[in-house]
Amino acid sequence: MTPSDLDAPPDAGKAEATAPEQNRKSAAPPKGKPIIELVNVTKTYVRGKEPLTVLDGLNLTIEEGAFEALMGPSGSGKSTLLNLIAGLDRPTSGKAVVAGNDIGSMSDGALAKFRARHIGFIFQSYNLMPVLTAVENVELPLLLTKLPAAERRKRAQTALRVVGLEDRMDHYPRQLSGGQEQRVAIARAIVTDPTILVCDEPTGDLDRKSADDILALLTKLNTDFKKTILMVTHDPAAAERATITRHLNKGKLE
Amino acid sequence: MIKLFLIAARNLKRSWFRTIFTIAGAAVALIAFIMLRTVLWSWNAVSEYAAQDRLATRHKVTMIMPLPKRYAEDIRAVPGVKQVAFMNWFGAKIPTAPDEFFASLAVESNTFFDVWDEMVVSPEDKARWLADKKGAIVGHVLAKKMGWKVGDKIVLEGTIYPGDWEFNISGIYKASRKSVDDSEFIFHWDYLNDSAPAEMKDQIGFISIRVTDTSRSAEIAQAIDRMFDERDVQTATMSERAMNLSFMAGFSALLTALDVVSIIILGIMLLILGNTIAMGVRERTKEYAVLRAIGFEPWHVRFFVIAEAAALGILSGAVGVGIAYPFVNHFVGRAIEENMGAMFPYFRVEPTTAALAFVIALGLAAVASLLPSIQAGRVSVTDALRRVG
Amino acid sequence: MVPIKYNVRNLVVRKRTTAAAAFGLALVVFVFACALMLGEGITKTLGRSASHDVVVVMRKGSDTEMVSSIEDKHVNLVLAHAEQVGASKKPVGVGEVLVVIHLDKLGTSGVSNVTVRGVPEDALAFRPTVKIVEGRAPNPGSDEVIVGRAIKGRFKGLQIGETFELKKNRPMKVVGVFSDEGSSYESEVWADVHAVRQAFGRPGSVSSVRVRLDSPSKFDAFKALVEGDRQLGLLAMRETDYVEKQSEATAIMLKILGGIIAFFFAIGAMIGATITMNAQVAGRTREIGTLRALGFSKTSILFSFLLESLVLALAGGAFGAIAAIAMKAVKITMINMNTWSEIVFGFEPTPEIIVSALVLSAVMGLFGGFLPAVRAARVSPVEAMRG
Repeated sequence: MTPSDLDAPPDAGKAEATAPEQNRKSAAPPKGKPIIELVNVTKTYVRGKEPLTVLDGLNLTIEEGAFEALMGPSGSGKSTLLNLIAGLDRPTSGKAVVAGNDIGSMSDGALAKFRARHIGFIFQSYNLMPVLTAVENVELPLLLTKLPAAERRKRAQTALRVVGLEDRMDHYPRQLSGGQEQRVAIARAIVTDPTILVCDEPTGDLDRKSADDILALLTKLNTDFKKTILMVTHDPAAAERATITRHLNKGKLE
Repeated sequence: MIKLFLIAARNLKRSWFRTIFTIAGAAVALIAFIMLRTVLWSWNAVSEYAAQDRLATRHKVTMIMPLPKRYAEDIRAVPGVKQVAFMNWFGAKIPTAPDEFFASLAVESNTFFDVWDEMVVSPEDKARWLADKKGAIVGHVLAKKMGWKVGDKIVLEGTIYPGDWEFNISGIYKASRKSVDDSEFIFHWDYLNDSAPAEMKDQIGFISIRVTDTSRSAEIAQAIDRMFDERDVQTATMSERAMNLSFMAGFSALLTALDVVSIIILGIMLLILGNTIAMGVRERTKEYAVLRAIGFEPWHVRFFVIAEAAALGILSGAVGVGIAYPFVNHFVGRAIEENMGAMFPYFRVEPTTAALAFVIALGLAAVASLLPSIQAGRVSVTDALRRVG
Repeated sequence: MVPIKYNVRNLVVRKRTTAAAAFGLALVVFVFACALMLGEGITKTLGRSASHDVVVVMRKGSDTEMVSSIEDKHVNLVLAHAEQVGASKKPVGVGEVLVVIHLDKLGTSGVSNVTVRGVPEDALAFRPTVKIVEGRAPNPGSDEVIVGRAIKGRFKGLQIGETFELKKNRPMKVVGVFSDEGSSYESEVWADVHAVRQAFGRPGSVSSVRVRLDSPSKFDAFKALVEGDRQLGLLAMRETDYVEKQSEATAIMLKILGGIIAFFFAIGAMIGATITMNAQVAGRTREIGTLRALGFSKTSILFSFLLESLVLALAGGAFGAIAAIAMKAVKITMINMNTWSEIVFGFEPTPEIIVSALVLSAVMGLFGGFLPAVRAARVSPVEAMRG
């Protein structure tokens, strides 16, 4: 298994963003160019009459190839931050640039395209489609590309092989264990060869053993496949795997 | 109990979208049901409300053959007969509106409105009519529709009696009974007979008979038929009600179909209600488990489900009946009475139909909630709480 | 965009709600198709009685043969006119008497009108499609009759060997049963024209004359000849036009009635589909959010759910249409509102009816699924993050 297995990006335009840096040492803290830049970002929700400021003038730079963990008590705004970076939501003010895209100025449609191209999602509760098999779930994001059907199937199978589930391809999610489901979700996240992997409590629903397997897999994706990973977690063991851990409290980075 | 019911009913507020659509769907089905039942009811009304003390005599073999005019006089002599009026079906077309269908009858002038006393004509109109050989009395619905007023001169085209026929509108009648069409055109038999071709003279289509004693109707009818049994032309005499019924028998297939369809619409209504209730129960499994955990018994939970369904049924019934009643009585009914008066002289929602529809809405809701309520009652506290939490 | 198997499988997984909604839609399609099929049935049944090259001649002003009357000497004139414009097949035409009689219905209480056609000897030769299927042809000039296949046994006295009265002490004996490819003639009794004329006291005249021209194109010339003779006071109509007029009122009534019922049913079923689809959307909010997070656009989510609703509706529609086609086996007796006599007809499925039934189900699916689909499209991708 080599990184080139997952290469051949569906879109030539993004090749530049994901091109591995030749001199980088896998274990050393990455010194790539910034892939995520947040400048003075504020996010305010209006609940009833009182406006609620969740992110308060936040600044953050994440470099390409990093594996960062984001910790903080509930209500600290880490999910909101993750949503902004993943292009699920827009900042109220400030500037958020992810993989060269200004999130705040994009339309819903443009954001959807952005997510399809640059973001791989890994959710706490896996969010697999229960009516689709493992390989069909992994194939799902490829339906947004112009790849022919055979090629899509081939890539989905390759991604499942990367996560070690080549023998579970035609199983439905309910026939899999939690750890296996999460690995299918990871395969789905990497199949499009995204710029950034966004993980929301990826081990939150798992037992220790499965959680460790998933974390090992994420580490491998970071080192072997040079994926930039941003992970929100409560789990200190998970945070330990990351090269950088940041703490968020009351909408500010500590 | 009432408290529990109100709490259950409050669940309907949870998903406004679903509640409103369910009520709308059930109400539409109920409106369709009410309309179908009203069609069936008013179809039956024609014979149901037919005068009890009136008989009709016609040709025994066929409706297209006339009777000799003297038969009317013979019948007058039969004991128990109070009054007799003979008449002919004319078959008129309005030259300017050839598709307009209405009943046109040439009647025995002196007795017709005595035998058909539910066709109410003012004494002035009647006097004017009797004085004018070409006079005609017209149903108020037909007169309004065609814009005819007393004093108007009109020309009709005969389909059975060929040629153009001139008439003067002498008066307007209004029916006092639900079985009578308000769109008929009544004129003098003598006028018809005088101008009819030779071979059609002195013949009458059928004879209406009023009897003195309703309980002797059958006996009198038999006596009349026996009297003509040995003559050239035999007769069949029956109560007006029986005659209407036998006419309607021809449409029995259609009536059965409408009957079936009105049941099917209830089936659709049941599906809508059942689906909604089942969905609610499925979503609230955890809540029912919590209720059970804090000490409510299975029947409480079942009651919750049924009470919510009942509230849905009551609302659906209220909306459905509330719309159908004025809609049919002021809108559809009037249109039907004007255009299809010959078949549906009276097309209105009966209070009994409305009440029935309301009860059905409630009943269907209860039936629809039966299975889900049993399911909800069986919720295992531990399983349900574990599954969700 | 979102694969269709995603929708189909979701429908399959939620068997019960899907079945309930689809069944509701199936009922609507069934009722709708049945009403159209009945309307078609009566039109076709009467239509089969008509040929393009046959012309019906009646007295001017008559809507039906029943009220028309033509003197015998005029019958010969009409036949002569036909031969003049071109009518070489023998017999050129037939003069017939049409009456209705009251007969007791079997099975139910009540009396109904039955059409009796007084026909000349060569009526069978004039209508080559008519065949004796049971018993034999009547002896010419006798009081023997044959009955159409459709009404045989539906009325008292209409079985082979039985009798009914046209007039007191004048029993007519049924000796045979005839068929005519399912036309309305099969709902008639055919007796000798002289016997009927005598019984109904109308010697020297018939109700109508039918003539068979060499080609339909000769109709205009024939019509001009017949109607040009003012003394006759007759009118000529193509038989196809005539029967169409005969069935119009009843067919239109059936179609309108069916249409109104189907309209109400459709609203009910559409709302049922809306509720079902809405529950699907509500139950799958996180799934939809995930799809949005993965990069599927609002439009593709909208189409996906519209498609799901469409599949649901078409499944129901197909089921309803198949059930409706099965109604082909059922025959119905009803009064034809133009002749006031009974006619037996069936449900006639046509490709057009089946297609329009399926189109109706598709429309119900799209309308019913629209609001839920919009709701699905508006699900925020953030929903994917909610546990």
